[in-house]
Amino acid sequence: MALVTGAAQGLGHATALRLAADGFVVAVNDIADDGRLTDLAGRVGGLAVPGDIADPDLVTAMIATVHERLGGVDVLVGNAAAMEMGSFLGQDPAIWWRQIEVNLSGHFRLVQAAVPLMRAAGGGRIVLIASEWGVSGHANATAYAASKAALIALAKGLGRELGPQGILTNAIAPSYIDTEQLRVDAADAGISLDEMRQRYCELVPIGRLATVEDIAGVVSFLAGPGGSAVVGQVLQPNGGVVRTRA
Amino acid sequence: MSTSDGRVVLVTGAASGIGAATAALFRQRGWRTAGIDLRPSDTDLSQACDVTDRSGLHSAVDAVIGRFGRVDAAVLAAGYYEEGIDVCEITKAQWDKMLGVILGGTVNTCAALLPHLIERDAGSVIAISSELALAGSATDLHYVAAKGAVLGLIKSLAAELAATGVRLNIVAPGPTDTPLLAADSLWRKADYLATLPLGRLVRPQEIAAAAYYLVTEGVMYCGEVLSPNAGAVI
Repeated sequence: MALVTGAAQGLGHATALRLAADGFVVAVNDIADDGRLTDLAGRVGGLAVPGDIADPDLVTAMIATVHERLGGVDVLVGNAAAMEMGSFLGQDPAIWWRQIEVNLSGHFRLVQAAVPLMRAAGGGRIVLIASEWGVSGHANATAYAASKAALIALAKGLGRELGPQGILTNAIAPSYIDTEQLRVDAADAGISLDEMRQRYCELVPIGRLATVEDIAGVVSFLAGPGGSAVVGQVLQPNGGVVRTRA
Repeated sequence: MSTSDGRVVLVTGAASGIGAATAALFRQRGWRTAGIDLRPSDTDLSQACDVTDRSGLHSAVDAVIGRFGRVDAAVLAAGYYEEGIDVCEITKAQWDKMLGVILGGTVNTCAALLPHLIERDAGSVIAISSELALAGSATDLHYVAAKGAVLGLIKSLAAELAATGVRLNIVAPGPTDTPLLAADSLWRKADYLATLPLGRLVRPQEIAAAAYYLVTEGVMYCGEVLSPNAGAVI
């Protein structure tokens, strides 16, 4: 049984489909259900559990619902993310901290709620979707980068703390993924989505962006039998993007 | 009809441990396997060759291509381990041999194989390093240095060939239950294992699974270090 946040589109959507193909029953969350989530739940044999993960009460209720209706949580994929680009000094503090609340605090509370279920079941897998920007930082994305760097550190800490309980936590730090999310980057750069894609392709040594299926495959590995000795690691399917530039 | 479409994997160090587990897994998934080791390996084409013998290795790789017509992936697991030697006591012979087998063997295999992969503009090479090279170790400094050199070598080759269809990545195993760890190895001691989050050695099959994953699904990795290490290095 798997739970994927941010599943209405993009990477979360692809991840839910991949985990279902791997044999999981998947509960899917996104901030709202405009029909896409219910549609997806039907395809992945699971359950739609919409709501804002930044709301502590929602998180508690969501895990309770999943426990009651599907029996537990064996794999938790923390993928939901808010990103609004803007200069550090210029961005509205409310917008800055909202990204921390959703990306970091929301998933922290989700992990807190899911871990008792995993312990009762004797183990589980937690996959936190971070970002290359959490490894290297990025201009005009301080909140996003901070939240993603925090998820990396959280994965390491949870890896150490929960490993002895059979719960394996890891993070994935992808670089550029070809999804609608790139519109945020494009808007910040003042260029079209296609121009943004082209620009990012040029930054990636292997000359291409990741597809959502590529990254869903990383989740599949970590959630599956092949990942049984991988704990506290940060997988970087980033096409060779270098962490720092001279 | 095998799902692998007759793909061929070359495994060095295929006679035992991680290499043997890797060859077995790929074979199980329908690949044809070519093994290179000092001793015979359970592979479709087993050749005895010392990876420090550059021209002998070149001939062995050519023989694989001659037999199968192709190599699609390679897992470089040839190596050995020595522990319990103070840094000041490591002899020149011990140093040279460790560098020669682990770094030299990796260099030689890449030199023999990469031209073929580049010509086909396709292929995946996985070098086996070690978690000891990620965070350091003690009383095995020549091993640590050699495994560390492999990290720099493969990351550089990955960058050098990024614009081609050839991918190179690294698996850095944690302490793994293979013959490389003697019965009295410090890595087998109960008090050491108790320090690991997973409280146990890694199984060679888990390293094989990581290599198989990188080869078959790792299109976005380029010079990546994947470390199934039971939590030894986080």
